[in-house]
Amino acid sequence: MDIKDRREISREYFSRERLAEHHFRSFNAFLGRGMQEVVDEKATIETDIGDKEGEEPVYVELGDVRVVTPRVREADGSEELLYPQEARLRNITYAAPVFMEMAIIKGGEEEEERVVDQTETKIGRMPIMVGSDKCNIAGFTDEELIDIGEDPADPGGYFIVNGSERVLMTSEDLAPNKILAETDTKYGDTIEVAKTFSQRRGYRALVLVERTRDGLLEVSFPSVSGSINFVTLIRALGLESDEEIVHRVSEDPEIVKFMLENLEAAEVQTTEGAIEELGTRVASGQGKNYQLKRANYVIDRYLLPHLHEDGVEEEDVRINKAYYLCRMAEACFELALERRDADDKDHYANKRLKVSGDLMKDLFRTALNKLARDVKYQLERANMRNRQLSVSTVVRSDVLTERLEHPIATGNWVGGRSGVSQLVDRTDYMGVLSHLRRLRSPLSRSQPHFEARDLHATQWGRICPSETPEGPNCGLVKNFAQAMELSQNVEDEQGLKQELAAMGVSGIPGIESIDQQPADD
Amino acid sequence: MSTTVTACPECEGRLRSDDSETVCASCGLVVAEDNIDHGPEWRSFADDDTNPERTGAPLTRSRHDRGLSTEIGRSTRLKGRKRRRMARLRRQHNRTKIGSKAERNQVYGFTEIRRLVSALGLSDHIRDRSCVLFESAQDEDLLRGRSLEGFAAATVYATCRTAEVSRTVDEVVGEARASKAELSAAYDALNRELGLPTGPIDPAEYLARFASDLDLPKELEGRARELVQRARDGGHVDGRNPAGVAAGCLYTAATEREYPLTQQAAADAADVTPVTLRATYHALSEDA
Repeated sequence: MDIKDRREISREYFSRERLAEHHFRSFNAFLGRGMQEVVDEKATIETDIGDKEGEEPVYVELGDVRVVTPRVREADGSEELLYPQEARLRNITYAAPVFMEMAIIKGGEEEEERVVDQTETKIGRMPIMVGSDKCNIAGFTDEELIDIGEDPADPGGYFIVNGSERVLMTSEDLAPNKILAETDTKYGDTIEVAKTFSQRRGYRALVLVERTRDGLLEVSFPSVSGSINFVTLIRALGLESDEEIVHRVSEDPEIVKFMLENLEAAEVQTTEGAIEELGTRVASGQGKNYQLKRANYVIDRYLLPHLHEDGVEEEDVRINKAYYLCRMAEACFELALERRDADDKDHYANKRLKVSGDLMKDLFRTALNKLARDVKYQLERANMRNRQLSVSTVVRSDVLTERLEHPIATGNWVGGRSGVSQLVDRTDYMGVLSHLRRLRSPLSRSQPHFEARDLHATQWGRICPSETPEGPNCGLVKNFAQAMELSQNVEDEQGLKQELAAMGVSGIPGIESIDQQPADD
Repeated sequence: MSTTVTACPECEGRLRSDDSETVCASCGLVVAEDNIDHGPEWRSFADDDTNPERTGAPLTRSRHDRGLSTEIGRSTRLKGRKRRRMARLRRQHNRTKIGSKAERNQVYGFTEIRRLVSALGLSDHIRDRSCVLFESAQDEDLLRGRSLEGFAAATVYATCRTAEVSRTVDEVVGEARASKAELSAAYDALNRELGLPTGPIDPAEYLARFASDLDLPKELEGRARELVQRARDGGHVDGRNPAGVAAGCLYTAATEREYPLTQQAAADAADVTPVTLRATYHALSEDA
């Protein structure tokens, strides 16, 4: 490649479309499928109607969501298309109405289920990123942009809420659903820990496997106070025999020795016994039946939630969880035997970036939950007063709108993070560009975190080595390199796995490996 | 808030307020200055240990307690017995928020008003005034024997009329949980007992909304506005359904400019029959 070609490429990286491209791709993916995914997760809104005798239960089924392009509702009731410049000048929000299919369904107990009312109704307004697919200026030529008072050089990639332009800060988080092994100290002793941030549908659970100083393994995960014996948990998940447990962890003779120590100290021998033992831990002082119910619920709900997948049997999921815990145990032992080093948390392979679309998805999820709670309340109220139940009279679109706008306007995001949205730096053009390509580490700036602030070799080609603020934020606020490419989640995970299975990868949960023809040679 | 003056004391012009002062838009008189900022004066940052904000949300008339009540929050740090105790306290605390049956009705009425206002896309100003009107109806004991939903809908309808952003009865009923009969029973009571400052509705108030529903160009709407004025001068407005007159003027404007708009479409937008619309159309064409 000669110098001319290289110049061509680098120029391409500086073109207007490229500068905020990561924001557009992420937000468009959110509009295109993320919103529908969130609605499908929710699927129904249950109500307490039907708890009384002689009353038929009522629930609401959620269907397709649809977002149009930004519009403004004037005081006289007319509705018009809204362009970004008008939103800035009039101090209004650049937001588009969101519609959703909803059906109120009654019955199921004595009568047959029937649809009481079904319509597509406006559920609220979604702030729209300037320059995204649903933006009114998408696809405009420079002349057209100038005609409506827009700057053709403006990169877009931000939102307009109450007239102020706000960027959503890309945040750099530790990669979820990965085993990270590290050493820790407890009561003065060095212990080995394997950690996983298990994440599924906005729920995040930290699972720890610790090797205590007497060589025994303990697991801790949310809803269980303290920690629970590793072998007990594995048995509760359905991996029962000593042999199987040992071989699932490792074939290495030294690790096998460690594992045998653990098995000798095991409190229970059977799956039933293990679940009972777990029950006494999660619901101590309660009835036996409740303990069992609770133990099963905790296993399915709070332990390694990322291993759940649509279309995979509950039993398979449990076994997968057991195998996963065995991998974590192996990581602990290997670290103890110095077969491997502790994982580097600052390595960029262990980082994931949350861009505007991911942040909006979190926001939309909580906003939809809030709306669902309001719909439930309104339905129960209407039913109590013997009113006709209809979709349009139980949805208050303000609820969702406020929940979406307020965090963007203030920066106080769901989950207690603040400063997520910032006023676009309009000091000069370069300021805007730099601001749109900035990313932030969630680590506290008041603590040293020397390693996190250091330039890491894996940032090469991804993060600019020199652009970072001086002072407390040094090394925690970073900027993208010019030629950085951000890869995205795949749309169809099942499809990807099927493809992998077809290429010969075996043992993917939920996918029957296609019978492999032995290579004839 | 709606308790302060709403028009200029000198010239009765519209008032416009920003963060610091309230100014008459027509004569420039400064009606009020050094307003109290009801918002928080500090914001908290992620790293701060304590929250320096001393104020909550601003007062609002759209809540039965004006948004002053406190709430017992939830914390994940509390465990076991203490957590259960807080849950019981929270329940008792929430019960104390509503003192009487009348207050409970008010909570329900206000919720319905807020829902209606959001469904009809009206401003917060209308919301607050509707709630105040609902409160005065309660004070006058008008609700006895009439439905809460009807009153909620009627207050919204009445406030829209007095604020010159009229909605038709059918538009309000379409979103409300009340029936048309309930709304008119409540509205009649309000009008009779409280003496609402409402005159006949100006058909021009409907024009913008119908025009945008029908996707008509701006020029047509402007022309229709002139036609409404002409109809009023010709005496064709009095005693006629204002929505029908508005639709008639839009239709007349469209035929003048040869814009494709059927009588049926225009009538549907205004929720009237084409016959009603034609009355205005014929009256206007005869005058011309």
